[in-house]
Amino acid sequence: MSDEEHHFESKADAGASKTYPQQAGTIRKNGYIVIKSRPCKVVEVSTSKTGKHGHAKCHFVAIDIFNGKKLEDIVPSSHNCDVPHVNRTDYQLIDISEDGFVSLLTENGNTKDDLRLPTDENLLSQIKDGFGEGKDLVVSVMSAMGEEQICALKDIGPKN
Amino acid sequence: MHQQGHPNSGTPDLAQLQAVMNAIEIACSSIQMHANPAAAEATILSLCQSPRPYQACQFILENSQVANARFQAAAAVRDAAIREWTLLTADEKKSLISFCLCFVMQHASSPEGYVQAKVSSVAAQLMKRGWLDFTAAEKEAFLDQVRQAVIGSHNLDVRYRGINFLESLVSEFSPSTSTAMGLAREFHEQCRASLEQDYLKTFYCWAQDAALSVTNKIIESDSAVPEVNVCSTAMRLMLQILNWDFRYGINAVKGAKSDIDCFSAEARYEGAKLSDCLLVQPGPAWRDVLITNGHIGWLLSLYGALRQKFSCEGYWLDCPIAVSARKLIVQFFTLTGAIFPSDNGQMQEQHLLQLLSGIVQWINPPDAIAKAINCGKSESEMLDGCRALLAIATVTTPLVFDRLLKSISPFGTISLLSALMCEVIKVLMANCTEEETWSWVARDILLDTWTTLLMKQPTGNTGQSVMLPPEGINAAANVFALIVESELKAASASDFTVESESEYLQASITTMDERLSSYALIARAAIDVTIPLLSRLFSERFRRLHQGRGPNDPTETLEELYSLLLITGHILADEGEGEMPLKKLSFFMKSYYIQVPNAIQAHFVDSMEIDKHPVIVLSSSIISFAEQSLDPEMRASIFSPRLMEAIIWFLARWSGTYLMPSEGIAISQDNYSSDSNHVYHLQSQSSRKALLAYFGEGDRGKFVLDIIVRISKVAVVSYPGEKDLQELTCYQLLRGLVRRKNICIQLVALDSWHDLANAFANERTLFSLNAVHQRSLAQTLILSASGMSNSEASNQYVRDIMGHMSAYLVEMSGKNDLKNVAQQPDVMLLVSCLLERLRGAASASEPRTQKAIYEMGFSVMNAVLVFLEVYKDESAVVCLLLKFIVDWVEGQIIYLEAQETAVVVNFCLRLLQLYSSHNIGKISLSLSSSLLTEAKTEKYRDLRALLQLLSNLCSKDLVDFSTDSIETQGTNISQVVYLGLHIVTPLISLDLLKYPKLCHDYFSLLSHMLEVYPEMVAQLNSEAFAHVLGTLDFGLHHQDIEVVDMCLRALKALASYHYKETGSGKVGLGSQATGYQDPDGRLQEGILSRFLRLLLQFLLFVDYSTDIISAAADALLPLILCEQGLYQRLGNELIERQANPTFRSRLANALQSLTSSNNLSTTLDRTNYQKFRKNLHNFLVEVRGFLRTM
Repeated sequence: MSDEEHHFESKADAGASKTYPQQAGTIRKNGYIVIKSRPCKVVEVSTSKTGKHGHAKCHFVAIDIFNGKKLEDIVPSSHNCDVPHVNRTDYQLIDISEDGFVSLLTENGNTKDDLRLPTDENLLSQIKDGFGEGKDLVVSVMSAMGEEQICALKDIGPKN
Repeated sequence: MHQQGHPNSGTPDLAQLQAVMNAIEIACSSIQMHANPAAAEATILSLCQSPRPYQACQFILENSQVANARFQAAAAVRDAAIREWTLLTADEKKSLISFCLCFVMQHASSPEGYVQAKVSSVAAQLMKRGWLDFTAAEKEAFLDQVRQAVIGSHNLDVRYRGINFLESLVSEFSPSTSTAMGLAREFHEQCRASLEQDYLKTFYCWAQDAALSVTNKIIESDSAVPEVNVCSTAMRLMLQILNWDFRYGINAVKGAKSDIDCFSAEARYEGAKLSDCLLVQPGPAWRDVLITNGHIGWLLSLYGALRQKFSCEGYWLDCPIAVSARKLIVQFFTLTGAIFPSDNGQMQEQHLLQLLSGIVQWINPPDAIAKAINCGKSESEMLDGCRALLAIATVTTPLVFDRLLKSISPFGTISLLSALMCEVIKVLMANCTEEETWSWVARDILLDTWTTLLMKQPTGNTGQSVMLPPEGINAAANVFALIVESELKAASASDFTVESESEYLQASITTMDERLSSYALIARAAIDVTIPLLSRLFSERFRRLHQGRGPNDPTETLEELYSLLLITGHILADEGEGEMPLKKLSFFMKSYYIQVPNAIQAHFVDSMEIDKHPVIVLSSSIISFAEQSLDPEMRASIFSPRLMEAIIWFLARWSGTYLMPSEGIAISQDNYSSDSNHVYHLQSQSSRKALLAYFGEGDRGKFVLDIIVRISKVAVVSYPGEKDLQELTCYQLLRGLVRRKNICIQLVALDSWHDLANAFANERTLFSLNAVHQRSLAQTLILSASGMSNSEASNQYVRDIMGHMSAYLVEMSGKNDLKNVAQQPDVMLLVSCLLERLRGAASASEPRTQKAIYEMGFSVMNAVLVFLEVYKDESAVVCLLLKFIVDWVEGQIIYLEAQETAVVVNFCLRLLQLYSSHNIGKISLSLSSSLLTEAKTEKYRDLRALLQLLSNLCSKDLVDFSTDSIETQGTNISQVVYLGLHIVTPLISLDLLKYPKLCHDYFSLLSHMLEVYPEMVAQLNSEAFAHVLGTLDFGLHHQDIEVVDMCLRALKALASYHYKETGSGKVGLGSQATGYQDPDGRLQEGILSRFLRLLLQFLLFVDYSTDIISAAADALLPLILCEQGLYQRLGNELIERQANPTFRSRLANALQSLTSSNNLSTTLDRTNYQKFRKNLHNFLVEVRGFLRTM
């Protein structure tokens, strides 16, 4: 076990790394993967062989977690793929400003004001409606490879 | 519009009829032209649904020039008459039927045959509807009309229509093709019995007469004559009658058994699909008609005459009359059972011989026929000939099968079969195209024939083995050699098809598996030739590989080896998956020994050279070849992943049969063949023992087991990313080994096994295995603990393997910076893998290791909660956490002592609460619709796991092995589960219930809870209660009958609980039942009233399967008893809504007898429920017809 522990610690120190290598064969459906330098979520994995007696390859169908575009990749299953470090943080929603930014309350009491609202009408209205109704909203912000975006809303009761 | 046109009294005048006809004609033509089809359909529908449309329909049938309008009118007669049947007078019923029959006969020559066919089938349906009410004389009158048409008439079209009507009638009376007509099974069953006993044979004779009377005309003329049509329809009817599922007079025992449930017939049909050969088993009463009156001679000579005419105009090999005749001939081969006297099968043999000599020219000589087909002749006659062989194989023994042809030709039937098969395989080899050709079909039929013949051997009920005759064995050997050749050729050719999608292949693998099993049977029939042949082929290829190491491309050889391994695996051992490999094993061992000719067997036994036993030689050479994969250099150059897959598969299959068979098997085999020839038996027994002992628990067995374990480790460690290979290794090979206790005992003593366990517990390499396979491996390793000498050692073994892993998870959960590092992909992968392993171990829980596994789970309980918090947004990890707990609780709960139970239950509730607090009111936002669906699916999976967790907790109340009652710790399971449901149900939206499995789980848990603990319902708060009831309401309207059934059971439980409680002066469901004020101050109806209303509405006006009526009755009775006042009111409302006075009084009477007939009382006991079921059934038959059309 000591071997792993060491590994675990060293990565903790390295912290800032945006992607990690992982063997293609171990990436499962619903896991993350980097395809064409985009962080994606895998929605389908299938395996095939190169020729009858060749080695297995993994065929990934994945969806960009930020822009929803579909991407595909084929990787020999014993090779490594890049897996993005996807982080999620919850903030309380304080305000929605006119210029398309949100104001969020961080855990330690500061505010975070640099996050843009989504441009998609549908998502935007879901956030605005909830906020407009006077609910107390917590937003989950997903960040990976230098991008961030609101990925979920949670109603924690009426605003007092 | 039509309602207006048909006042209920008085005769509609001609103008009105004309108007209706015009409307329908316009509707029909506009449908054809696609002009406003919806409106047109509505017009036609209104005709069907209007009360008593008969006159209008008859008018249309007789006067309309538009064929479609006539068709629709016939359909309307049918719909209306079936619906209003109980309202019609006896004369009206009869006149409808005779109108239809006369109409068909009068217009027999009409060019629009489909209208006639429709009217015919309407007549048949109405006749069946009234079958049990009509007197024998009335039926006779109708049928006499038909008889006149079929055999008395000089008009060929009338004859044709008459036969056609009989076809409709027979198919209407046969359960599998009948129309339900909203009636109970008993009705259909009675009709079926009546037709079979009193009419079927008569119909057959009519068909015979009709066909006979036109035969001469057909034979004499050189070109197609109109009589052909009558003849082929008559033969079609005969075929249909022969296909009837005969029940009566087969023989006393069987008949009595089978008429209990007329739907057991379905099993017969399914079974038949396998071999594509239905047996025809009419009773002895049919002997004169079918066999002794020269019927078959007539049929054969008719076809013989047709055969001469195939060059003439109007006849060809696939013309309808030839096809019908051939089908009928093939069907006659399957005649069997009590129709033949018990004369040792002589008459049947005679019968088969007559048929076979009539058709042998279809398939003999095989080479000439194959050539002709390749030159463009139609293959259908040859295929029918093959089907006939299959039929003979099905009804006779191999010996009789072979003997048949010998009496008329120099060779036996098996030789012909083998020659035919060889020709077919040659054709297959010649054109290796992918598309299906006749040779595929022929091969499948012939393979089925072999299988049928060879499968008979061990199942001879006397235990006496039926051997193939010596030529038969030679024939089998020849066929097998050719089969192997063709498979090898296919293998080396297929290698160059480059890519292969794994999913696409799945379907073809199954069919390939079936085919290989048939090959195996053939090979076993000639085992002394085929096994050495395989040995030779293997060693050739091994040699070629070793020579060819280096620049040569070995793929061709590899692929050949792959094929050979699959074939050999099938021959040497039967599939051992599932719970009882032993039975299958003894089957094979028996069949093997029985088929080794005495001479060869004696050779093996006497010289005591068990080493030279062909099976041993072959097995040993394959194993030593496999062993070479342990050498890294060899592995890189020869052992491709695909070859390894075949090797692992073979080892799994082989070891299930030959490796360390336990004593029990040997004994069971002795019993198995104890009746057979004594001397022979003794010989074979010693040889069998020698073979079984060869790889037994002695040194050689251990040695091979050690090799297998080492090869397995190589397969999981040295082939990174090869999922298929890993799956085979983990699921088939290793899992198969630990299933047997005697092997576990050897395994835990092996160093190689401990190596594997150690690598799994302490090394990094195995983390690169697919996570699911890590789970499987954990399970396998833990299961092998059953080989330890005692419980203490077993528990220690488990702790040694799992201890580090759980400790590591605990340690990690305690880190301060967990929140920062947890989302790193590598950490997440590690946590996921460890959880999968824990889950694997948890699902391997056995009484012996229960303690250690409980400790393992107990130690990580807090860590699980921490991870659930940290990974609340990582659905994949959340799902793993939940599933681990589900499996752990499932394995542990029944063993836990009171105190442990309290701990586990509290933990589960905390888990539920935590999960709920994370997810309630959460909305995922994403641009991608597929990611949103994924999110929903993940939620579904989580909830399903939570429901399973609750169900598992529930089981503590049913099965409990603990020493004292759990109540001592104040744990009340039902309370806990209701609390759990309370937490979970708000998360289950109606949207999520669209997932069938979730829906199923939810309702089965709900109905279980309501049935077993109805008293707890009263304690739910109104919000939770409302939610539970909302889902019940949803479930009642569900498509799935099972879900509806569960909801009905739940309702029954609720209502009967309330009724019983209030009966004894208690509150029962209290305010929930009596009605209450909602927060806005309005008075809400009590739930029982609500459901009474709902259920009545459902029963009367909604489409549903008749299967749920009984369950509905069980729910309805207590509801009515609880809410008698409301029930009266609803009944009166229903009656008042009826405008028609006849319907009104019928409805009133029906409602009256629903609650009063059969001496229904107000108790809720079994007999009363049964009475009410009957009442409800009658009630629905009586009123649903007219209520639904109003």
